[in-house]
Amino acid sequence: MDNPALIQSGLAQQHYICNEATAMTLYLALKLEKPILVEGPPGVGKTELAKAMAAVLKRSMIRLQCYEGLDEAKALYEWKYGKQLLYTQILKDKLNELLGSGENFEQTLSHLHKVKDIFYSPDFLEPRPLLAALQTEQPCVLLIDEIDKADHEFESLLLELLADFQISVPEIGTMTALHKPLVLLTSNNNRELSDALKRRCLHLYLPFPTIELESAIIEHRVPGIKAQLRQQLVKFVHELRQFDLKKQPAISETLDWARTLLLLQTDELTPETTLATLNVLLKHQEDIHQVEDQLMPLFKALDQHKN
Amino acid sequence: MDKVMVEFIQSLRQQGMRVSTAETLDAMRAIPLVGYNDRAMLKLALSCCLVKTLPDQVLFDQCFDQFFQVPDSRPARTDKAEPKTLWKAFGRKPTQTLLPQSELGQLLLNSTGAELELKLAQAAKASQLSQMKSISQRGLFGHKMMISLGMGGLDQEIRLNQNGSSQQESLARALTQAKADLQQDIKSYVDRQFLTSTKGIHRQLREAVLMETRIDQLPAQDEAMNLVRKLAKKLAAAHSRRRKVPQYGQLDIQKTLRNNMAYDGVILQTHWRQKKIERPRLWVICDVSGSVRPYAGFLLMFLYCLNDVLSQVRAFAFSSDLVEVTEWFERLPLPQAMQQTLQQAGQGSTDYGQTLTSFHQQHLNTLDHRTTVIILGDGRNNFSDPKCNLLQDIHGRAGQVLWLNPEDKRRWGSGDSEMLRYQAYCSQTVACHNLQQLERFISGLLRYNH
Repeated sequence: MDNPALIQSGLAQQHYICNEATAMTLYLALKLEKPILVEGPPGVGKTELAKAMAAVLKRSMIRLQCYEGLDEAKALYEWKYGKQLLYTQILKDKLNELLGSGENFEQTLSHLHKVKDIFYSPDFLEPRPLLAALQTEQPCVLLIDEIDKADHEFESLLLELLADFQISVPEIGTMTALHKPLVLLTSNNNRELSDALKRRCLHLYLPFPTIELESAIIEHRVPGIKAQLRQQLVKFVHELRQFDLKKQPAISETLDWARTLLLLQTDELTPETTLATLNVLLKHQEDIHQVEDQLMPLFKALDQHKN
Repeated sequence: MDKVMVEFIQSLRQQGMRVSTAETLDAMRAIPLVGYNDRAMLKLALSCCLVKTLPDQVLFDQCFDQFFQVPDSRPARTDKAEPKTLWKAFGRKPTQTLLPQSELGQLLLNSTGAELELKLAQAAKASQLSQMKSISQRGLFGHKMMISLGMGGLDQEIRLNQNGSSQQESLARALTQAKADLQQDIKSYVDRQFLTSTKGIHRQLREAVLMETRIDQLPAQDEAMNLVRKLAKKLAAAHSRRRKVPQYGQLDIQKTLRNNMAYDGVILQTHWRQKKIERPRLWVICDVSGSVRPYAGFLLMFLYCLNDVLSQVRAFAFSSDLVEVTEWFERLPLPQAMQQTLQQAGQGSTDYGQTLTSFHQQHLNTLDHRTTVIILGDGRNNFSDPKCNLLQDIHGRAGQVLWLNPEDKRRWGSGDSEMLRYQAYCSQTVACHNLQQLERFISGLLRYNH
């Protein structure tokens, strides 16, 4: 992956169409070994980007879905308490043997000191996604999804990983990445992320795509659809995004709609078919009502556009 | 080139973008990967290293275009990375034997626009362009830059070639032309740098001035509002830390035992007692009669910008009687909310007694020890009954009562001001007439732990 254009075409082979800024960010992230923070409205393909990138690089992908209350035991590592307990029971006899051989109290103690701290060793460590991503044999892609849903503290927890690709386990020491993974963090901007986190990442904002880009995406993803219909539906969706909607239709909705229209064997977009399939595109009843009222003027405007 | 980058980042910072040293280093590492030749690529690469928010993107784009501007007179320069084709102006290509000898001459005739831009920036550094204080100095600094670029050598070369063979003459002509162009470039470069850098300085200066201006004297409302938003964001960031602090040292025995049942009562995991930090609940009562009006606007705006770190804010406005305005401030943009408030509550002469009576009747039972009541007003009651006993009741039920007074402490109690009498029933009274004091007050409010 020696220049951004190669990444762009590589992603296109995975049916992920992106703009130059995206390709450049990915290129720099690979070269500079920095994480990427991907922001943008829901449904523009933030998570998909990570998947496509993993496919392009032929790496496995490890995903951590963030939510409120996510903590280090679920994200970094955990001690296998059960196993520790079980082993203490099993080793009880051995322990007696060891301690019994001592002549006096001091000798027993020194025997005990010679035994390494076996219960807090990597064998008893249960790696969670973040640690697992550092320990893979082959470099991987690590996706930390919807980081804005996690608590403030969790962000601070990530800083060490993002800056140095290492995790400190107090009982063992610092565990450094065998191979530095490509890290992507996604955020829907539910809340402002801390400057410390932003500073450690390259920033990529994925907006809603332009008409040309969206059309190209549909062409790749829904190959059976006719060019004329594709143009029409993309324009229609772009008009819809001008409305004051509760949830704007994103690329994923456009794709669903395109698939729906293909399934219904539609050749041309008409107000009737639109009305019948509007619920694929809009996810709130209020939004559907609002657009239903405006449907005729909308189509008129589209027609004039064409002429 | 490092110097140029540092200056570019300096100008980004002056525009108000936060660029840390770490990000600067990233940008420096990114540059060799993309090179200088493609302007668009360079811009993309820098933008993904330096820009971290959407508003910053706009600033960055502007700043980049301004800083690495391609002079208008020869727009093709930086876009095409091939040597300049000045020779075309003379209708024929030069013979190889007559290449310019002086350093500047070579630069002018053979290099790409990007290289020239780089040299210009270096010359600007050498002649300390950033020290330029007034626009009348631009001739002086332009001249300094010319000298630092190696003007002497170029002049000499032109003179040498002027009366020689036809080839020599054409070289001299080309060089003279290039020199004139360069002078033009330098002039516009100096102007641009001057404007970019002083705009930033002005901004910082202006903010410092705005902070200390009396709130009712603030000139441009937009600018002041942006400043308030910025201050609020800073405060929110500082106070949005976690709400529970574990107190190491005090074992939470119940929780520990409960959670370790699975391990046969062997205590493997410990739980510590936690201290909760509560977000303050604020009941804000604002005087919106004539003189105090602007203060109320800024206080409410400040508080509503802090929504994230405050658990609940209820706002009331009064001049003669009390009106709850919470909903408007939550729903509407500030100017409309303020207008609406003034329409509903801005009539009549100030009556603190009546206001306290209404508040006492309607809202006293909503107060508890976690509530902070903030009263903003000058305490001038037009000589009617101040009803201090009601404030005493409120003080008894609420966690604390804070009074913000835009007047100086010296004037409290003069004329119809009841401030000294009210003061007895307040946890704290603060004179607050500029944004700096307001920020300090609110910051103290957030730090208050119950």
